[in-house]
Amino acid sequence: MSKVKIKTGMLLIILPLIVIFIALFMGRYPLPIPLVAEILWAKLTLGASGVPLKYETIVWDIRLPRAILGALVGASLAVSGAAFQGLFRNPLVSSGILGVSAGSGFGAALAIVLFNSTAHIYLFAFCFGGIAVLLSIMVGSIYNTTPTIMLVLGGVIISSVFSALLSFLKYVADPYNQLPTIVFWLMGSMASVRYQDITIAGLPMVIGLAGLFAVRWRLNVLSMGDKEALSLGINTKLNKGLIIFCATLATAGAVCVSGIIGWVGLIIPHIARMLVGNDNRLVIPTSMSLGACFLTFVDTLGRTITGSEIPLGILTALVGGPFFVYLLKKTKGKGW
Amino acid sequence: MSLLEVCNASYDYGPKKVFADIGFQINKGEIFCIVGPNGCGKTTLLDCVGGLHKLKQGTVLLNGQNMTRLKPPDVARQIAYVPQGHTKTFPYTVLDIVLMGRTARIDLFSSPSDEDVDSAEQALKLVGLAAFKDRPYTQLSGGESQLVMIARALAQEAPVMVMDEPTAHLDFKHELEVLETVVQLVKEQGLAVIMATHFPNHAFYFENNRLPTAVALMADAAFLAVGAPNDVLNEENLRTLYKIDTRVLTHQIADFGEIRQVIALRTLENKKRE
Repeated sequence: MSKVKIKTGMLLIILPLIVIFIALFMGRYPLPIPLVAEILWAKLTLGASGVPLKYETIVWDIRLPRAILGALVGASLAVSGAAFQGLFRNPLVSSGILGVSAGSGFGAALAIVLFNSTAHIYLFAFCFGGIAVLLSIMVGSIYNTTPTIMLVLGGVIISSVFSALLSFLKYVADPYNQLPTIVFWLMGSMASVRYQDITIAGLPMVIGLAGLFAVRWRLNVLSMGDKEALSLGINTKLNKGLIIFCATLATAGAVCVSGIIGWVGLIIPHIARMLVGNDNRLVIPTSMSLGACFLTFVDTLGRTITGSEIPLGILTALVGGPFFVYLLKKTKGKGW
Repeated sequence: MSLLEVCNASYDYGPKKVFADIGFQINKGEIFCIVGPNGCGKTTLLDCVGGLHKLKQGTVLLNGQNMTRLKPPDVARQIAYVPQGHTKTFPYTVLDIVLMGRTARIDLFSSPSDEDVDSAEQALKLVGLAAFKDRPYTQLSGGESQLVMIARALAQEAPVMVMDEPTAHLDFKHELEVLETVVQLVKEQGLAVIMATHFPNHAFYFENNRLPTAVALMADAAFLAVGAPNDVLNEENLRTLYKIDTRVLTHQIADFGEIRQVIALRTLENKKRE
């Protein structure tokens, strides 16, 4: 391990922590930094803080879980996107390419129409996300000579089927009660997040993130295409399966708590490549870190700038788009 | 026991027979060229030898071991494959590409070690591209890219290298550069090279460089003839294989000794028309 590597690694870990900390004192109810620090210190050392309980609740029970989950969701979406882009050798692919987002969206809408309870929404969104990916893989394996293209095509087909089913649900949903819930869910939000959400959705996300981090170098080899990867000594079926499994786990975990958040899974990996080059050994951790920072930041912004929260799906593109263009100009698209 | 032996190999795409009952073997420090018209099945045969397709019948023996029993990394440690065309997607650095040759020696959840980087740099040095290691490989010329692919195969440290038309799309000089590299690798590293090519002169080139060379003429799903280029690449065989008239010429050239080459004169269709 060289010194540069250690420094980069430290930076990638510290950056999201800083953004999470910022998220704790920003909001419609701004708190002074020393107060936040005092609360955190007291909580971590299990002591009493002497700060009014009201502030403690805001920081520790409302803002912290939301910031942590935001970071996890951002990291999951970004890293799944990066993994899929490498795997499918296509820079235009995002974390939803195999139908996770469309499947989850349908699942959530179904749960809203049938039960309208948060627990059901999580479960249905997560399961249907997984089902959609399985179906895509099945469609992709019907005609086996060009597996990668067929897999992407399978994803597109299954996504469109689930989008259609979602539209149908919107059409039949109660327009005063259920329809707005569906629409807001689809726009993405983390307003209702609590600690229990971290324990439920955090597990698949952490497993997915860890798995993708572990096989990050293999992504380089797989991005050479199936034939070359095999000739270089990779069991392509096993490795591809593992990557798709991890990416799906991470994305489904993210989507089921946050709703559909576009943009992160497509653009953050590109920003990472502009900054650190194309080697997935760097792209994967950088995408994780940037994704975590970006989503936490955008979420904080979304609940700070106006009284009613702006949905995440809207802000990610509005904030991220100009930033991407700025970076493109600054780095002259280095790495592309 | 030979390093690599192919016995009674057959392959088909459903009803379409690609080749049947083919056999050959190769040892350390030898070159085996496969020559034949477009679509005769050279690439499929090489894919089978490289473990990318499974033979429908017959066996590929690696040091006497049946290849179907070996896992992908075990095969990759014994056979390195240089593909015919390589589609570049992401602009990896040249070193990153060559490092991929080390895959078979790296665990599922690991990344290349410092030793792997050393062997990759060593491989780049062997093909004369040491100075290119930090360049994005998408910016290389066709010839340089091909040398990078050869370097990647070298980093595999496999005793056998399979090359599918390694000089396709290369200009006059780069073609020679690749051939010179192959000669050097066979001579100095004792590599066994199996190479498909469209140019009978490539086989002569290796023979002219005094390498133990065998050439197989492939047509109609079988080997028409196998042997030393001097014996096999004669005017009669080439007429059967390509339906063209040729002349094999021998020159004495100072510093190079006896050099043999074949020149194409005309297609048989054209001859009839005259």
